[in-house]
Amino acid sequence: MFKNILFATAATGASDHAARVAFNIAENCNSHVTIFHVLGVPSRGFSQVVVDVKTREKVEVDGEYTAWVKEEIRTYYEKYLDKGLDCTIDVAVGVPAREILRRARAIKPDLVLIGGSTGSDEEVFYKKYAAGSTLQKVARSAPCPVLAVNRPAASFWGGVSNIVFGTDFSKTADRTFDFALKVARTMECELHVFHAVDINPVPGGTLLLSQDEIELKIREALKEIRKRYWPGLKTLKACSMDVCEGIPYFEIVKYARDKHADLIIMAHHSKKMVEENARFGGNVEQVIVRAGCPVLSMNK
Amino acid sequence: MKKKILVIDDDFNIRDYIVSLFDDNGYDTYVAGDVKEGIEVAKAEKPDLITLDIEMPGEWGPRFFSQLSQDPELKNIPVIVITALSGHEHAIVKAVASLSKPFDRKELLKIVQETIH
Repeated sequence: MFKNILFATAATGASDHAARVAFNIAENCNSHVTIFHVLGVPSRGFSQVVVDVKTREKVEVDGEYTAWVKEEIRTYYEKYLDKGLDCTIDVAVGVPAREILRRARAIKPDLVLIGGSTGSDEEVFYKKYAAGSTLQKVARSAPCPVLAVNRPAASFWGGVSNIVFGTDFSKTADRTFDFALKVARTMECELHVFHAVDINPVPGGTLLLSQDEIELKIREALKEIRKRYWPGLKTLKACSMDVCEGIPYFEIVKYARDKHADLIIMAHHSKKMVEENARFGGNVEQVIVRAGCPVLSMNK
Repeated sequence: MKKKILVIDDDFNIRDYIVSLFDDNGYDTYVAGDVKEGIEVAKAEKPDLITLDIEMPGEWGPRFFSQLSQDPELKNIPVIVITALSGHEHAIVKAVASLSKPFDRKELLKIVQETIH
């Protein structure tokens, strides 16, 4: 499992916590890691001049520049690479999300690993509340599971032993559960299945559900979890099933914290990004932004 | 009766430094170099406070905290995180404090005094 990892990085502090997780998984799973960095966006058309994603300066891309960037990346991750990990450093020119997806289709990794936002300082406000646009686009369209490490706090676990699987009972969630089960079996982890009954009031409205109605929904959800997931769960050494009410992404983050989870797994449904909602994303993106552990999402 | 402090850190020099700081200030100290040993010593000695490194060989600090907080006899022992890793402030949400290496001796002692006196 996780034998071929595509680690997309800006090779700056913003990717440090993702790097910690990427190299830790690689060490534990004997994986090959492709360290992938997008140099920048062409200033126009197919120009050789790109706007560097790190410095925001215009640079001319040639063999010498590419070799220099690869050497810089090698130096940046020296402390991990010196351990003898099986790594390739790869760079490309273009829009980061598009290039990461293109590379993922080409090398067919079994995991894409990506860090938090590398946006400009003006976007700092949003970094606290929303997933970066590259992360959002990659998570929505990647051909394999995407592991996002947004907060530094999500990177201090060192391995996986306790997984929370958040479900909304969709078909994608069912397929994602099969994957979570496989991870739990292979890595001999505990698996906790969780559903949050959404009690979000309509915008500007008040809570419409009585407590009796909420508790009925909780009971129905528990029944649904048992029906869908128990046959798989009972094959594990340790597992649990829980439902509670609230705002789903907060509840998932809280539940993961209570369970000392070192990995959250969720399904990602939205293929299209709704522009007006892009800043704040859906439940998965909010969990990615807030979680105290890495979040793995699957979109198919 | 002297208060007991357990120091968990894989770096011998740091461990030695913290232990001598606590010894000089009237605490009884115990040491562990990894999570497994940390849990064993915590169970045996029931310390009043634990200082915890994050990155250690094998299991990391958050795993120690996870095991500690699931043990009814140990779960209320306060933990202070001391680490060189950047962005560690929220690594263990329920830690009483989180200090960066190199840390200020006076600051650490103040936190310890406020926590266990």
